[in-house]
Amino acid sequence: MENLGNIEKIVAFIGALVVFTFAVIGLRGEWHKNGLDDNVTKMLLGLMAFGCILVVLACFGILPHTAPGGAA
Amino acid sequence: MAVSVAPAHGIGHGDDDHGHDDIIYRETRDMRLMGFVLFLGADVVLFSSYIFAYIYLRNSIPAWPPPGADGHQLPRLDTAFAAFNSIVLFGSGVTMHWALEHWKHANRSRFNVFMFLTILLGVGFLGGQAYEYAHAAIGGWSGNTFGASFFTLTGMHGLHVAVGVGFLIALWIQTTRGVYTKERFFGLTAGTLYWHFVDVIWVGLFFLFYLW
Repeated sequence: MENLGNIEKIVAFIGALVVFTFAVIGLRGEWHKNGLDDNVTKMLLGLMAFGCILVVLACFGILPHTAPGGAA
Repeated sequence: MAVSVAPAHGIGHGDDDHGHDDIIYRETRDMRLMGFVLFLGADVVLFSSYIFAYIYLRNSIPAWPPPGADGHQLPRLDTAFAAFNSIVLFGSGVTMHWALEHWKHANRSRFNVFMFLTILLGVGFLGGQAYEYAHAAIGGWSGNTFGASFFTLTGMHGLHVAVGVGFLIALWIQTTRGVYTKERFFGLTAGTLYWHFVDVIWVGLFFLFYLW
């Protein structure tokens, strides 16, 4: 079961790097546009990139502070 | 934002129909977009009220998750699986963004590939959430405040994802029927915004339930 958890973390980590990269590329492409939909998209892509950072922190065990399976 | 009327001689006569439609489309697009963004804003308020209720509950109880019905401390949720499932959903947000970009550049085949990936990943996320519901040892919906909060908020989010998947499938079908063109694709823009929205709501839920 622990192996499965490690595999999930590795896949999530690699996925987070890929998704973060493409989200930033998408964000750069939207950057010079100023329509309402473009501005909302910029904000949402930025937050999604932030989500990828949270996933990386979870993969390295930096978040949450307590070990998974333990009490808070 | 008044809608101007096309010249009367141009309405209902051959090619001029398209010209009239274009004028109507251009002049109502901003209003429809504003309406859709307001709808998303209303959804943000809905989720915010539940999220703040959860934060209040969490800060009201010394040990979190609180003890279950049998008095034992509940385990934390499976962070590794949630991280994996989160990336499935965030990945679908990126593929949807690129699907729209390829539509704007009239690259139909790549649009289809990215649209398919988006729907596949969305369904995958729902499957992952169903798996988690089946295996989370947190006492069910009515066992304790943690379970009630978790199932209510993630269930409401899951419902939004399920509706989003249906929305995207409907949009995809519409593209095959010629409803949208390279210049006129408001539905696809709305679908993309909605899909990004459900991704971003999950960022908050992922932090609240798994990382905090």
